[in-house]
Amino acid sequence: MSLLYSLARLLDRISPARIAYAHCDIPCGIYDPHHAQLAAHTVVRMVDLINQLEKPGPNATAEQRQEYTNKLARYIATKEQHSEIAKSELRILWADYFKPDHLKTFPELHDTMWKALKTASKARQEINLQAAEDLLKATNDIASMFWKTKGLETITTKAPYPTERQTVYPKFK
Amino acid sequence: MFPFRRFRVEDESMRPTLEPGDYVLVNRWAYRFQSPKRGDLVVVQDPEALDRFLVKRVADAAGPSQVHLAGDNQPLSRDSRAFGPVSINRIVGKVWIRLKR
Repeated sequence: MSLLYSLARLLDRISPARIAYAHCDIPCGIYDPHHAQLAAHTVVRMVDLINQLEKPGPNATAEQRQEYTNKLARYIATKEQHSEIAKSELRILWADYFKPDHLKTFPELHDTMWKALKTASKARQEINLQAAEDLLKATNDIASMFWKTKGLETITTKAPYPTERQTVYPKFK
Repeated sequence: MFPFRRFRVEDESMRPTLEPGDYVLVNRWAYRFQSPKRGDLVVVQDPEALDRFLVKRVADAAGPSQVHLAGDNQPLSRDSRAFGPVSINRIVGKVWIRLKR
């Protein structure tokens, strides 16, 4: 430790220096579009489950109605939560991961992100299979862009979940 | 206006040039008669949070009144790649002395 540094530190005790941040975002640099894709799958699954749920008829007992309402409420709550997770994950990729340079390669990036967020809101608000599917497709499109920026090719294949929808995965070497 | 101002460095985007804990003495008059040049180390008002300061390197003079800033530790740095060019008015001054810990 140099004498001058010690002097600066002493001076700092008397009158603290302002901080100049060599700013980084935390910096973890850890990003992955998979969270958004996974959340979109959950939204699709919840819409599927809601649509498969047998509605209580006019002669249903109080218990049957209660069971129906309970299941419906749980599916809706999960759909709400995971649409929001998808939005949050997309925002992180958009604001923190993607840089202006990436726009040269993907001029459609802003438009895709913006539409994906709108679609996620629609999927949250409604029981709408098309909106849920669109959200999943948007997260897949963003995943392909993301992995391209990492120099990785992607494959599109059936997900190993009950949703079984087409999903983009990176091809690790 | 007193020509010098002390800053203590935090965060890691300027490594290895500046380590967290280093002090820098900034010359506030450095750009009175000349413009920032590529390669200069500068302290600027953070364009994303005006009440704090950033220390970065001038990567390019974007125009007569704007500069592009970059961190020496590129992969970690949040800089002009994220917040765009920065107005010269936001530059506090040029780093004159670096005190390494």
